Amino acid sequence: MSMPLTLLWTLPLLGAVVCAFMGKRAKYAALAFSAAFLGAALAITWVARSTAALAVVTELGPVWAYGISYRLSADSLSLGLIALTALLNLICVASSWKLDVSAGYWACFMALASALTGVFLARDLFFFYVFWEATLIPMFFIIGLWGSSNRMHAALKFFLFTFSGSVFMLLALLALVSAHHRVTGVWTWDLALLDSTTLGAAAPLVFWGLVLGFAVKIPMVPLHTWLPDAHTEAPAAGSVMLAGIMLKMGVYGLLRIALPLFPVLSWEALPILGGLAALSTIYGAFCAMAQTDLKRMIAYSSIAHLGFCLLGVLSRTSQGLVGGSLQLLNHGLTTGALFLMVGFIYERAHKRGLADFGDLASRAPYLAFFFGFSTLASIGLPGLNGFVGEFMSLSGALAALPVLAFLGLVGVTLAAAYALPAFQAVFWAPEGPGSVSAKVTDLDFRERGVLWTLSALMLWIGLAPNAWLAWLEPSLRGLVR
Amino acid sequence: MTAAQVPLAAWLLFAAPVAALLFGFFVMRRFKPEWTHLPILASCLVVTGAAFWLAADVYTGHSFDLNLFRWAGAGAFGVDFGLRIDGPGVAVLAMVAFVGSLIHLYAAGYMKGDAGFARFFLVFHLFYLAMIGLLTSNNYVQLYLFWELVGVCSYLLVGFWYKKESARKAALKAFMVNRIGDFGLLLAVLLITLQFKVTHFHLAYLKVVSGAPLDLLPLIGVCLVWAACAKSAQFPLYFWLPDAMEGPTPTSALMHAATMVTAGVFLLVRSWPLIAAVPGLPHAIAWIGAFTALFAAIVAGTKKDLKRILAYSTVSHLGLMMLALGLDQVGAAIFHLIVHGFFKAALFLCAGNIAHGLHQSTANVDDVGGLQKSMRLTYLSFGLAALSLAGIFPMGGFFSKDAILDAAWHHGGAMAVMAMLVAAGSAFYIFRMLFLTFYGARPGQKCPSDIHEAEPILGIPVLFLALGAAAAGLLKGPIERFVVIGFRGLPGGLPELQSVVLNLPGEPLLPALNPVVAGLGTLMALLGALAAWRVTMSDPGFDWRWRGGFAEAMFESDFGWKTAMGRCASAVSWTARFVGRVLDKRGLDGLIEGTNGFARAAGAAVARSAQGRVNDYLWWMGIGTAVLLGRVLR
Repeated sequence: MSMPLTLLWTLPLLGAVVCAFMGKRAKYAALAFSAAFLGAALAITWVARSTAALAVVTELGPVWAYGISYRLSADSLSLGLIALTALLNLICVASSWKLDVSAGYWACFMALASALTGVFLARDLFFFYVFWEATLIPMFFIIGLWGSSNRMHAALKFFLFTFSGSVFMLLALLALVSAHHRVTGVWTWDLALLDSTTLGAAAPLVFWGLVLGFAVKIPMVPLHTWLPDAHTEAPAAGSVMLAGIMLKMGVYGLLRIALPLFPVLSWEALPILGGLAALSTIYGAFCAMAQTDLKRMIAYSSIAHLGFCLLGVLSRTSQGLVGGSLQLLNHGLTTGALFLMVGFIYERAHKRGLADFGDLASRAPYLAFFFGFSTLASIGLPGLNGFVGEFMSLSGALAALPVLAFLGLVGVTLAAAYALPAFQAVFWAPEGPGSVSAKVTDLDFRERGVLWTLSALMLWIGLAPNAWLAWLEPSLRGLVR
Repeated sequence: MTAAQVPLAAWLLFAAPVAALLFGFFVMRRFKPEWTHLPILASCLVVTGAAFWLAADVYTGHSFDLNLFRWAGAGAFGVDFGLRIDGPGVAVLAMVAFVGSLIHLYAAGYMKGDAGFARFFLVFHLFYLAMIGLLTSNNYVQLYLFWELVGVCSYLLVGFWYKKESARKAALKAFMVNRIGDFGLLLAVLLITLQFKVTHFHLAYLKVVSGAPLDLLPLIGVCLVWAACAKSAQFPLYFWLPDAMEGPTPTSALMHAATMVTAGVFLLVRSWPLIAAVPGLPHAIAWIGAFTALFAAIVAGTKKDLKRILAYSTVSHLGLMMLALGLDQVGAAIFHLIVHGFFKAALFLCAGNIAHGLHQSTANVDDVGGLQKSMRLTYLSFGLAALSLAGIFPMGGFFSKDAILDAAWHHGGAMAVMAMLVAAGSAFYIFRMLFLTFYGARPGQKCPSDIHEAEPILGIPVLFLALGAAAAGLLKGPIERFVVIGFRGLPGGLPELQSVVLNLPGEPLLPALNPVVAGLGTLMALLGALAAWRVTMSDPGFDWRWRGGFAEAMFESDFGWKTAMGRCASAVSWTARFVGRVLDKRGLDGLIEGTNGFARAAGAAVARSAQGRVNDYLWWMGIGTAVLLGRVLR
């Protein structure tokens, strides 16, 4: 079993190279490669379904200088996120089908998928960091080249912000590796071999360095200000990947690196980190309420939703860890769907302000149905996916530090206060002066197909989440306090 | 008991609506939207049959409570979904299924020709399904699922005519206030999970009854009452309900009689063993109920819009049910809930018939008067239901209200006085409404001459409901038995329950007729009716004369409470604007953009070549990283 995991990240990379040379026909290559990627991801997930804890391990090549080695591994958490990456990548390709863009657009998406997959597979911290940074490059171009009016500013802000965050992460990783070398005399970047006890008194500094790097990505209030700009200016598919997968890297990093390496410190940091997570849910909700741009509103709602994931994960209870991790997948589906639909609207009308539309429920009933459905999933209607993650995360938070659950519940309540008025303004309210609703034709067959897929998954996870939870649970068991 | 032994009727309760909804959504709505109601009406028939079948099963001692599948679990945490078919649940279920079906039938006539006919019927039926699910849930998480689904359906139905601004506002208000209540329910459910380690009703009862120390129980109880206050429109969270009549009339009928507002009372019935174990909490519920009942009855007597009078009347009657519950009279609360379902549905549909005759979505006392001649069937139905509401012997309302008055009387003090005043107040507002619309016409009323009786599909369901409201007193014995089975019986199914004899707190028995209370209640009702006669018949101009001053402003703002709540809502949106536009945009983001600009300016000044700034940054970052890397690895 050595090839499949390498295949997972090289397949989209190969797709990116092919796309770059295909010129006008690049989108066909992108479609073929994303479909193959999704197929491969699902096949490996299926093969590994029963032994999901640490199922497929690949180790290639010798140990290089400074103990760097190529190690990949996948458990259900990794595979879940990779399958989501593959699904959203295919959906992004399908939803961008009619855009008039150069080959580079498609190549960037394939490269992004490859780098993201690498992040979720790497178990060698050097490769983890390389993949982590590699995600920035395609996303920088996606925002900067194919974004809307203020794209360059947003791209630069995104890049500098997250890059500064990861510099701290790199320093922390370097300190970790060199301390390990100092104490044991062995160079290694292998996550399984590293141990934070070698750090001695520097441990808190290293822990917070790592957390800073991850917190920018999540993003945790007050490190979030890159996100609204980046989401708003990115093309629709870019926002989908950004919100659907890239934000998850931060929580994944916590789960994979910070919590296992620093079990005591991360528990002691619960009041601060959990407090910031709970603050994110409320702060994000308030900011979302104040927005007049549909896309910005959804961007801020992501900050709130990621706050719930963090609450669950940081609680270190079974239900919190599993629910928070499921919420990572859930958020990818619901927010992905919402960003896609805003993209469909923008493609048609070239506007996305709440006041630019009205009465879309009459003009585009399918759009209204899917938007309403996804909005309800996003605000945590039981029976749809968002509720499962929220409920279990809050249940975990309540067991760990009750005040966090209480604040999180305030966030749950506020979610309806931004999502429904926005829905009403766009779909129900009559058209105001300067309304561009007339340009918004209803969804076509391709767009409906994409949204049916996402909606069906939302309903499935919402009604019968236990199979998903039971699948994720073995990967997270070790983190339970 | 295993899943294979669950009676077919229990499966049909869910299978029929789900099948009808899927068929309606994917087939009918696309190809023949004007026929969407057909599969749904068929499903109503099946559900009603199944509900009566289950009621008969339970009546003969075959109640059960069974887990069907694990919904979500991780480690020690686990939530199962299942079915609980027991006395109180099935008694309310039978009423909801029957009354709901008649309202569906009515809606088929009322909504005919509306552009959103298919959408209306699908959401309407989902609403019905949600309530059925709520009544048969066997644990708190499952109940919460259906509870929220009920809320969303009501949102979509209240906002059904979304082009009207008032409908959009009312829908949002209803959903937000319910969401504030759901805060309490979700917190209660989370606390129950933490405290009991299970969410199952019955296992929680056993733990409470066993007398184990439960520190969180008072908080859980308060949260549950808070949730019930929002859903069942009790003070301080009642104010969404009167606006919710912006939806089409069948929606109001379904919401007020069967599917929505009764959920809160039902939640408290389901949680009664938990709540009764908290000292002082039942008493607080009784006070909330008595206060709300009296206050809403007074406001109802001043309204002009027919549906608004009925909405306040619902608030008042729910207050009576809360009063009964607070006095430990579980049986009386359920009895009144069921009788109320009949007469309130009938009254709403009568108001709908009047509005339909006027070709409006709602009717006002200014628009109509003297309908006695032109709408005989509606008059008859309205009259029967109004007598039942006012508690006149031998109508159903007499028996159920008497049980509550009896409890209040025996409790004595202010609560007894308040209950009697509510009896007078409800007779006043309903007879005022009856006289204003069906007698007259008065100088202030327009009274169109061409108004006539609605077609049979609108008239007949109403008549059945009104007859039900009149005869519901006969249900006293059966309902008592259902509640006794629920609170004293032994539902089989869960392995933990095989040998447990149940004796839950709460009084399931209904009091025997007490001549003093019955006489006094009837006297109060007659006094109320007489007062209504005085201000509408012997002084026909009164209703138009007193308005316009301070008094009307007070009544319109519900003695200032609506204004206060409006202020709270604006405070929240002001906070949101402050956080979003000032704190986040100018504060945090401004700070960061500022450093960016500074760095950019500095970079430009140093490098002097301003082309390709991104490259510069990358280089500087690369160099910085390399330096740091070198130092660490050294």
